Amino acid sequence: MARVKLNGLSKSYGKVNVIKDICLDIEDGEFVVLIGPSGCGKSTLLRMIAGLESITDGTLEIGDRPVNDVPPRDRGISMVFQSYALYPHMSSADNMSFSLRLAGEDDASRRGKVARAADILGLGPYLDRLPKQLSGGQRQRVAMGRAIVRKPEVFLFDEPLSNLDAKLRVKMRTELKELHQKLRTTTIYVTHDQVEAMTLADRIVVLRDGRIEQIGTPLELYDNPANAFVGSFLGSPTMNLLQLEVAADNPRSARFPDGEAMCLAEPAPPGPAIVGIRPECFNLAAQPGDGTLQAEVVVVEPTGATTELVVRKAGQDITVLSPQRLNARPGDKVWLMPDATRARAFPHGDNHIG
Amino acid sequence: MTDVTNSPLTVAGSRRRRFNASERQVALMRHLVLMSFALIVLFPFFWIISAAFKTQIDLLMGKIFFTPRIDGFLDVIFDKTSDFARNFGNSMVIGLISTFLVLIVATLAAFSLYRLQWPGWVLHSLLGWSVIFHMVPPITLAGAWFTMFRSVGLDNSYTGIILAHTTLHLPMALWMMGVFVRDVPKELVEAAQIDGAKVPQILWHVVLPIVRPGLAATGILTFIFSWNEFPVVLVLSQRQTATVPLGIGKYAQENTIAFTEMAAASTLSILPAFLLLLFAQRFIVRGLTSGAVK
Repeated sequence: MARVKLNGLSKSYGKVNVIKDICLDIEDGEFVVLIGPSGCGKSTLLRMIAGLESITDGTLEIGDRPVNDVPPRDRGISMVFQSYALYPHMSSADNMSFSLRLAGEDDASRRGKVARAADILGLGPYLDRLPKQLSGGQRQRVAMGRAIVRKPEVFLFDEPLSNLDAKLRVKMRTELKELHQKLRTTTIYVTHDQVEAMTLADRIVVLRDGRIEQIGTPLELYDNPANAFVGSFLGSPTMNLLQLEVAADNPRSARFPDGEAMCLAEPAPPGPAIVGIRPECFNLAAQPGDGTLQAEVVVVEPTGATTELVVRKAGQDITVLSPQRLNARPGDKVWLMPDATRARAFPHGDNHIG
Repeated sequence: MTDVTNSPLTVAGSRRRRFNASERQVALMRHLVLMSFALIVLFPFFWIISAAFKTQIDLLMGKIFFTPRIDGFLDVIFDKTSDFARNFGNSMVIGLISTFLVLIVATLAAFSLYRLQWPGWVLHSLLGWSVIFHMVPPITLAGAWFTMFRSVGLDNSYTGIILAHTTLHLPMALWMMGVFVRDVPKELVEAAQIDGAKVPQILWHVVLPIVRPGLAATGILTFIFSWNEFPVVLVLSQRQTATVPLGIGKYAQENTIAFTEMAAASTLSILPAFLLLLFAQRFIVRGLTSGAVK
């Protein structure tokens, strides 16, 4: 196990900068998720850590040892690829023990290690099968087994669950978390799925255009996004971003074009602002009251456990997530009570996603 | 009521019959075309093989019905004046060794070019050069090779001919192996790198087992090309190192043409390629089409 330290890492292809001055300290045993829209450089960054892409600038340390010029095999890492990258001509057991064979370990110790890994992953009955005889989930486990048997200092995962169907993905996600709790190996995990990021990570790193937008624990990022991009990237249904006007006389109040206003958690500079508020931060009322906002129901989507409402307020759609079962119909009038402590004004001009 | 319910059925039924009939016609036409192609391709083989079993007189009289005789074959194989057995052996030696060399060089080159991150211009200039080389008629090179080999004492030797055949067939093999090597997913090479494999180990443990069908296809084609090659051996070899095509050519003398022996020798010369194709045609087809469909 080891710390991983990224010190001003940059990568450019010719004149195009794809990774720009990334600084990140990953603690021993930590599970860090790199997340961002496609093309944000998260996979490239992971491949730079793995040694599959060269580093243009900056230093990379794994276990307090600079590894910029160390080949992948000597970095103490193992990697699980999106496509699993299992050797098609080798059985599951041979796939898992390939690295040990290359390292010159004898047969008995190889078999022991593979058996232990197979035990952890529940692969016992499939050890003699070729990859093409395995299902997607089993292949995924073999790929993880191959990573485990090396006893690496750092695990790297490149969107390992994105080729699985939805149900299996949830199951494997749980298994991954369990595995990390068992092994406590430093893990860097790339995904574009915010649910995976939220559920797995000790810390999430949100990337955009090769830059870090924000680093923090899942709940920190969920509750206090640094900007509208991070706010809208995490969470489902996605955060409401409203175009409001902060009053000149009251920096904690933001006004809709129709004149109604909502309170902000923190004071904001006067003028137009983007206010982010999560769908679950509204209460619904049937009557107008103090601080309520009047809106019209557009769509009602009951999911069983919750009800998702899309309401329209002064030309802007607001998603509201309610734990109650509502019998609202499109066209009905409702009154929203926003939770003032959860509404944040973001600096203008960075609300673009992807 | 009956009319109303029945009429759509009748319409559908008759439409289906008509469709079937026209489909059958199309199928018939298609088979006729295919059969005529097959006839065009197979007739020379049939003619050569039947000629091999005729006597010279039957052949020259153009007899269609004849008593098959194997004298031609016996002459070609066992006659003291016939070189055919030696030619056959020479072709085997030259074909097998040059194919082996071609496969080694082409596989290493394809792996290096496509998987070791050469700058683009190295890749393109090498591949471009190999195409240009492949377009040059072999006979243009043969003269120069003859002079070169002669000055180093390799004329009329197996080594000379094997080197020449290796050089001649390398471009084609390189292109074919390039397609197969590119078909090996990059992630596999990367996974092996992370697993601790060095370049030779990646090639040996990961790439080679996966491109095995490609090796078979390339090997078979290279062998057949070498087996059939005429102009270069004609220049480089003499009696001791002559190959099968030269041997067949020898039956056409100035005064007589030994048609029966020639046909028998030709029939025998088809055998190795025929057997190879029979055993490995699925590799060949896969080899020639892979990369084309992606």
